[in-house]
Amino acid sequence: MDTKKLLHTLLAGAVAGTLCSQALAANEDPIKVGVMLPFSGIYAALGDAGRNGLKMALKEHAQALHGRQIEFIEMDTEARPERAPEIASSLLDQHHANFIIGPVHSGVAMGMIKVLKDKDTVMIIPNAGAAAATGPLCAPNIFRTSFSSWQPSYPMGKVALDNAYKRVVTMSWNYGMGRESLDAFRESFTAGGGEIVKEILVPFPKTEFQSYLSEIGSINPDAVFVFFAGGGAVKFVKDYDALGLKGKIPLLGSGFLTEGTLEAQGPSAEGVRTTLHYADGLDNEVNNKFRQDYEQMFGKPADIYAVQGYDAGLLIANAVDQLGGDISDQAALIKAMEGAHLFSPRGEITFSRAHNPVQNIYLRQVENGQNKVIDVPAAALEDPARGCKL
Amino acid sequence: MTTSLFFVQLINGLQYGLLLFLIASGLTLVFGVMGILNLAHGSMYMVGAYLAWYFVQQTGSFTLSAIISAVIALAIGIVVERLLIQRLYRRNHLDQVLLTIGMIFVFNALQSILWGDDPLGVQVPEAMSAAIPLTDVVEYPVYRIFVALVCVAIAAVMYFMINRTRLGMLIRAGESNREMVECLGIDISRLYTIVFAIGVMLATVAGVIAAPMSSIVPGMGEHVLIACFVVVVIGGMGSIKGAFIGALLVGLVDTFASVLMPQLSSMMIYILMAFILLIKPQGLFSS
Amino acid sequence: MLFNKRTERYFVWVFFPLALLMPLFLEQNTFYVSKLTTVMIFAIFVMSLDYLVGRCGLITLGHAMFYGLGGYIFVIIAPEYEAVNFWVYTFYICVIAALVALIIGFLVLRTSGIYMIMITLAFAQMAFYYFSDSIDFGGNDGVFIYVKPDTSIFGISLFDLDNPIHFYYLCLLSLFNTLFFFRLVIRSRFGRVIDSIHENPGRTTALGYNVFVFRLMAYTMASALGAYAGYLFTLQYGFVNPSMLAWTTSGSALVMSILGGMGSIYGAILGTLVYEGLHYVLEHLTEHWLLFMGALIILMVILFKNGIAGYLEKLLEKRS
Repeated sequence: MDTKKLLHTLLAGAVAGTLCSQALAANEDPIKVGVMLPFSGIYAALGDAGRNGLKMALKEHAQALHGRQIEFIEMDTEARPERAPEIASSLLDQHHANFIIGPVHSGVAMGMIKVLKDKDTVMIIPNAGAAAATGPLCAPNIFRTSFSSWQPSYPMGKVALDNAYKRVVTMSWNYGMGRESLDAFRESFTAGGGEIVKEILVPFPKTEFQSYLSEIGSINPDAVFVFFAGGGAVKFVKDYDALGLKGKIPLLGSGFLTEGTLEAQGPSAEGVRTTLHYADGLDNEVNNKFRQDYEQMFGKPADIYAVQGYDAGLLIANAVDQLGGDISDQAALIKAMEGAHLFSPRGEITFSRAHNPVQNIYLRQVENGQNKVIDVPAAALEDPARGCKL
Repeated sequence: MTTSLFFVQLINGLQYGLLLFLIASGLTLVFGVMGILNLAHGSMYMVGAYLAWYFVQQTGSFTLSAIISAVIALAIGIVVERLLIQRLYRRNHLDQVLLTIGMIFVFNALQSILWGDDPLGVQVPEAMSAAIPLTDVVEYPVYRIFVALVCVAIAAVMYFMINRTRLGMLIRAGESNREMVECLGIDISRLYTIVFAIGVMLATVAGVIAAPMSSIVPGMGEHVLIACFVVVVIGGMGSIKGAFIGALLVGLVDTFASVLMPQLSSMMIYILMAFILLIKPQGLFSS
Repeated sequence: MLFNKRTERYFVWVFFPLALLMPLFLEQNTFYVSKLTTVMIFAIFVMSLDYLVGRCGLITLGHAMFYGLGGYIFVIIAPEYEAVNFWVYTFYICVIAALVALIIGFLVLRTSGIYMIMITLAFAQMAFYYFSDSIDFGGNDGVFIYVKPDTSIFGISLFDLDNPIHFYYLCLLSLFNTLFFFRLVIRSRFGRVIDSIHENPGRTTALGYNVFVFRLMAYTMASALGAYAGYLFTLQYGFVNPSMLAWTTSGSALVMSILGGMGSIYGAILGTLVYEGLHYVLEHLTEHWLLFMGALIILMVILFKNGIAGYLEKLLEKRS
């Protein structure tokens, strides 16, 4: 990224502006992919991984693009929701991006959706799980290659019951994604006769967990179910071990608890069981190749955020391929994307009517610093998409 | 709440408070002596944690890593003071605010460039990996007790240094009347450099010893900065004793509020601060 | 002459005609119009802060509270699916924000200096967590405004708020009015008392003025204006999020105000333009924009003694 690239982008923008009415000429233009991810601040690692995956997929599947080049326009959201509408409109009105990939943070997703809903571009969410995005706010041009907050947590209720855990304490940060995850767990867990003894909501982004953990120790439930991610997940798992709860009260979680964090958590994470739509140890051809290539290209192991970015790239390549390289008709493009059948590292995925992936949810356990699959508690799970009128 | 849980929470609160004191002490020292409001103080805490991680990777020894990090911190402190802070002594506080915000940006960017954005972790040193059982379920790790002791020791050393040594005498003199100190033929600018470097080192050391029990992530500096300011302001800017009391107060209030009043726990330390400032507008122990 | 300083006069004569004509050049690219609108809205907010910090000597790190309240008051009092009148709601929002400011000002103005910085921060953080933790107003994810107000007076609609160009001119008008308003305030008797308080509170008290009341009036006025800016910001994209109230928003406003030249008011516009301009250019040039942004801020503090406005003034002085 340098001055040259900026000039190039600006030039391309000017050229595209004059030519875009002519469909024939448009087919020779590069496909513009706007990337709206956090590259600084607390979510930067997630943004980096998502971008890496996206670029890798589009490079690997270059032949599916029918000769069309890809031009990336990258914008740092800094995970600041109040800036999201501005950046989204920059990609839409200034750069005329065909696809906009983002974001990580649910608040930013809301700001983007406000601007991009029903507009002449396709938004692909490679992480943010906010239920609303493929619920009440769903739109023809909004897709998600990650998950809805409901998906990874709902199956864990059944897993807990199967393990004869009757009294469970749930805990997460007090924000949308956290509350929605706990609700999803509660839904399946209490339906099967389980009891939530206590729900603890920690102010975001506080990571002083000691007092809460001491309280959990005094309640002494059958198990604890949590949603934490990133730095908070590292701290939580380490504290859980340090205060002696590990080994006495089983720790269950939404899979983000052990994604991209295992190295930092070290031995404290061993034995933690989580449910997620992916696992490092999934033994399929796509995943094995993906993990190997990713590590070679970026020098670190792939995590769920990389997979979700990779699948955003796969979805683009798949749709462009179906249309023979001509994506000028938005209705046709959306139809192609809806019908996409992707061979993702996480297994096969299709898309629901609300444009959320229909996918397997795996039960994983941390063994030797890896998330090993031990079961598939929900196969081809579809989000209920409550409130979506598509 | 049962009695045993109460005592466990008491220990939690005290331990959190002591760590807060260690981070905040440098901030209040620098403000008290030099009148400099260093917003980049939290960044030095972050730098400390990252340095600890880096040198544990390189040397394999936590102790060695802590020593190297402290030396580097002193060097950073001296360079920053001589190169930047010194130019602003005659300017108003707000220019210092702007300067130190610029420094936060630079430190955050350097962290991302040098060490990446993935969350990192340092393991607790082997010798202190044991734990003491408190209740049937809850244990207390030896390392956290060690950290609390280190914080108490540093508080004691600072108290001794300021009240009993020549450097401390100069610091106290500089606080009350800097012109007079200069008239007595003492090089005040050298004193300032030393004090600033010590302030930076305190924040960095706090980052180092907190590293094994926290997650090392981008943005950790800003989060701790606000808590530090609350501590220092409650105690009275510039007062080491105030910072000590303020830190324990914040640690205890935060810990008990999160258990007893979960709906209000996010606001509790701010309510505490507002309350104290309304009664004592200069903090508890302002000079 | 209202804009009496030479630099300020130049600035007004260069900036506003340019800003008036700008949309004509940018017809191709509505994004730049929107971007400039956002910058102008924030400049109104920074101006109100600049008056408090630079003119009254009341340093606050909680001003973003009113910026956010501007949005949230609208969300709370306006019906969700019905267009309300823009001017009426401007009045409501400013009055409610002023009442809040009156109460908070009554408490915080007892302190000064760093203590005031921290107590204003404390109240702003409480407001932040209130909106961030509560589920009623969208919590951490924020909330949408579906219907924008209409701007008709006596049946004549002046601006269509859904049209970016119209909205641009509304904000430009607001920006100019704010600058004009502060000029009037500064030159009024009230403004002179405020200046005298800033210079020497003790002597002003001796002259028989109640310092506390004057400060409270200034605080209330600036807070209401801050809320107006927040209201405009919310209307631009129809999105309210607790991050508007975060201390980082107060922090960046403070940075822009210091950068522009404290207390000069028009400098706030310069500071906002320069800061946002640098941010925009750097983030397009490099992923490590933060590094260069930080370095440039450090450089500017050391080079400019009284911000950009002060530097320009000195430059003009040398010329003549």
